[in-house]
Amino acid sequence: MTQHFTQTFTPSSTPTLTLTLGHLYPDQLNLYGDRGNIMTLSRRCQQRGIALRVVGLGIGDALAPDEYDMLFIGGGQDKEQAPVAQDLYEIKGIGLWAAIEDDMPVLAVCGGFQLLAHYYRPADGPDMRGLGVFDAWTIHKGPHTPRCIGDLAINWNGQTLVGFENHGGRTYLGTAKPLGKVLKGYGNNAEDHTEGAIYRNTYGTYLHGSLLPKNPHFADHLIELALQRKYSSQGRNLEELEGPDGVTQPPSANGQIAPVANIGNTAPFLTSLDDTLEWEAHTSILERLGLHNAASATLRAHIS
Amino acid sequence: MRRKKPSQSASKESYMPQRELQMERTQLTAKRLESQRKRRPGKQSDTLRAGLAVMAGRTAGALSRRLHLGGGTSIVGVVAQSIYPDIVEHLATQLKEGSVIITGTNGKTTTSSFIAAILRDGGLRVWHNREGSNLMRGIASSLVMRALPTGHLRRAGSAISILEVDEAALPQVVQAVPPRIAVFTNLFRDQLDRYGEVDSVISYWQRAISQLSADTTLVLNADDPAIANLGASYAGNVLYYGIDDLSLDQQNQTNPNERHQVMDTRTCPQCGNAYTYDVRFYSHMGHYQCPQCHTQRPQPDIRATLVQLDSFDRWRLQVSTTTETRELIIPLPGFYNIYNALAAITAARALDIPWEPIITGIEQSKPVFGRGERIQAEGRTIRLLLAKNPTGFNEVLRTLFSEGVPRHVLFVLNDNTADGRDISWIWDVDFERGIGLTNTLVISGTRTLDLALRLKYAGIAQEDMTIIPPAPLRATRNDEASLRRARRLQKRSQASEQATPASIAVPARVYGLKNAINVALQQTPVGETLFIVPTYTGLLEVHRELEQRGLAPHYWEGKEEA
Repeated sequence: MTQHFTQTFTPSSTPTLTLTLGHLYPDQLNLYGDRGNIMTLSRRCQQRGIALRVVGLGIGDALAPDEYDMLFIGGGQDKEQAPVAQDLYEIKGIGLWAAIEDDMPVLAVCGGFQLLAHYYRPADGPDMRGLGVFDAWTIHKGPHTPRCIGDLAINWNGQTLVGFENHGGRTYLGTAKPLGKVLKGYGNNAEDHTEGAIYRNTYGTYLHGSLLPKNPHFADHLIELALQRKYSSQGRNLEELEGPDGVTQPPSANGQIAPVANIGNTAPFLTSLDDTLEWEAHTSILERLGLHNAASATLRAHIS
Repeated sequence: MRRKKPSQSASKESYMPQRELQMERTQLTAKRLESQRKRRPGKQSDTLRAGLAVMAGRTAGALSRRLHLGGGTSIVGVVAQSIYPDIVEHLATQLKEGSVIITGTNGKTTTSSFIAAILRDGGLRVWHNREGSNLMRGIASSLVMRALPTGHLRRAGSAISILEVDEAALPQVVQAVPPRIAVFTNLFRDQLDRYGEVDSVISYWQRAISQLSADTTLVLNADDPAIANLGASYAGNVLYYGIDDLSLDQQNQTNPNERHQVMDTRTCPQCGNAYTYDVRFYSHMGHYQCPQCHTQRPQPDIRATLVQLDSFDRWRLQVSTTTETRELIIPLPGFYNIYNALAAITAARALDIPWEPIITGIEQSKPVFGRGERIQAEGRTIRLLLAKNPTGFNEVLRTLFSEGVPRHVLFVLNDNTADGRDISWIWDVDFERGIGLTNTLVISGTRTLDLALRLKYAGIAQEDMTIIPPAPLRATRNDEASLRRARRLQKRSQASEQATPASIAVPARVYGLKNAINVALQQTPVGETLFIVPTYTGLLEVHRELEQRGLAPHYWEGKEEA
C-alpha cells in the first residue's frame, strides 16, 4: 500500500529545495504541544528531500523577513504573553508585517493568533496591544465566562480541520475572513461559528492538539505556499496581477480543494505521502464529534 | 530578594535553635489541637449531627459497594458532608497527632506512602486517604469511614492522618483540616483543561498558605522555583529539601534527548526575568537564580549529597542535614523518587521522627498503585509506570530507556476527564528517546491514534508498533454498507462506467484494551518484563483488567489500616 501512495519522486535527481522556518518565541509560547506543528513541518519536508531549517526567535531577536520562508507562533500563558506582546510590537513588528505583506505563510495558534489581532482585553488589567494583522480583537469576559475547551472541527475550503481548543478569550472578527466555519466546538467566540482568521497567507487559529499532525493537507498547504513563494517567481508575478486572493478558492468539482493554492500555473512541488495514520486520527476526531458524514467523506477522499 | 528566615540559613549555630523552635512549635500545635478538640465536639448538637452524618455516609458507602455502583468511597464523604458540612473539621480535630498534607503535581502518592511507612515505623497510628480520593469528598470519606456513630473517631489516640490533596482542592482542605505539616512536591503543567494555566495552581496554593496559622511547617522543594517561592512570604517555619549532587546535571549533556526539556516555570515571579541555571536535573528542577533580582534557590535543610543508580529500581542516596549524613536505599525506579524520598524525610524530621524509622520506612516500601507496581502475569513481569503529564511522561521514558536496554512497552493514552481532555502535551514528550529501544511496542487507549501519530513523527517505524484503538472507525463500517448499496445499484443499472470504489484500506487491527494487554503480553517473551505506561484512567482500566484476571490484588478492597 505504501508504494501506492508514494509517487516516483527522487529528491536526488532534483536540486535540493531549502526552506527556513522562523519559530517565534519557542520558549515562551509553547504551552499546547506547539512543538508538534514544527515536527510535522520538518518531517514532511524531510520526507520529500526538502531541507527545512528551523530558527528560534526569542525575545529581543530581530526578525529579518528575507531570512525566512515561513513563520510559526504558538500559544502560552498570560504571564508569558505580556513580554512577548511587547517584543512583538516593538522589535519584530515591522519585519513581521513586511513578511506578511510579502505573502509569507505564517501560522499563528491560540495566543499567537490573539497577538496578531488588534488587542487582547483581559478580565482585569490593561489591554494587551496586538499587531493588527487581522482585523479582529479578543475579550476575556472574566472568570464567570467558561473557557472554550474541547475538540473542535471546522470546515476549511471544503475539507475539515480538526484539533483541540482551550482559550479563555473570545475573538471577534471585524473585516477579517475566518479560517473556517465551526462544525462542532466553540471556535473564535462560541457565538458566530467562525474559527480563526486569514490575511493573505497568514493563518490564525485556536486549533491545537497539535494542529498540523492530524491535518496533513493543511501542513502541506503551508509548505507548498512557502515553496511557491520562494521558487516560482513566475507564479508570484501572476498572483500579483490577480490580486491577493490566492488562498480561499471555492472547492473544485470533486468536492476537494486542490492540494495547493494555485498561485500561478506551476506544478505543485509536493508529492503525496502515506498519510493513512494521519487521516485515521483525523477521522476519529470527526467521529468523536458526531460528524459521521464528514468522517466518511474524509476516509473516502484520503484512504483508499 | 534575599531570604531572611532563620530556617534558610545553613550555619550550624542557627540550626540548633531552629530545631528547638521547631519542637516548641510542635508542642504548640499539639496544644492548639487539643484545645480545638475540647472545644469542637463539646457542643452536643454537633456531635449528634456528626454521628448522623457518619452513619448516613457509611450506609451509603455500603449500599453503593453492595450494588456495585462504584468503589463506594467518595459517596461516603458526599453523603456525610451533605448532612453535616463541617464533618471533616469535626473529625480531623480529634486526631491526636494532627495531619500531614501532601500536594503537588507529581509524586503525591509515593511521597504520602513514604511518610506513612516512616510514621508507622516510628510507632504512630497512620491514617491515609486512598489513591484517587484526594478531593474534599475523598478526604471526608477517609475520615468518616474511621468514625463511630457517636461522631468520634475510632482510636484517635496517637493517630496521625496523612492526606494527599489535589492541587486545586488545597484551599478548601486546609480550611477544614489545619495541617501540622504541608508538603509541596513540585509544579508542572498538568490537565490544563481542568486547572487552567500553571499559574492558576500557584494562586490556589498561595490562597491556601495565607489561611494557615504560623503553626504549620511548610516542607518545600528547593529545586523547583515555583515551589520554593511559596516559602518566601510565609510567616511560619519552612524546611527545604533538594539535590546537591552536581554530577546529575542534565543541561550540559551532549545527548540531544537530555537537552530538550519541557520547562513549566521559566521566569522569576518577583521580577519576570528568565531564571538561569547552574545545574538542572530535569524540567525546571535544579539550581537556579534570577540574573535580575538575584532571587535564588534556597539552601536546603535536607540535601541529597550523593545519588547513585545501583539498578533499575534501586537508588543509593546520601542524605545530609547540617549536622549529620545518612545513607539509604530507595527501592523504586525513577529519578523523581529521590525528590519524593527527600520530601518524606524532611516531613519526618519536622515531626521529630528519628533516623531509624526514616530509613526502614523508605527502604522497605513497596511501589504503590501504578507507581512502579510489579505484577506477575503468565510468566512475565508487568511493571506499571503511571505517566500523566509531560514531565511525568518524560521522566518515565528516561527511566525506561536511559540504560540503553531495549524494552517491551505498552502505552495507554486516555483523555477522560480525570486524565485531562487535552492531550496536546504528548507533542512535548520526548518519545525520540525510545527510537531503537523498543523490542515490542503496543499503543492503546482512547487516544491511540494520536499517540501513534506522535510516535510516527518521533521516527518510530509503523511496522514497529501495534496500534490497538478502542473501537474501529465507524466510517469504515458505513463505507462497507454504502459499498454494498453501490454494488446493488450498479447491478441493477449495469450502466455505470465507474469502477467500484476500492474498499477502505484502513489497516486491519484488533481493538480494545483487553486485546492490547493480551498482545503486549504475547509479544513479551516469558521471563521478561512488560512495561505498561498508562495515563491515570488508563491505569485504572489496566488494573481492573489485571484484577479480573486474578493477577493483581483488588485495589478498592485493599485492606484498611486503622
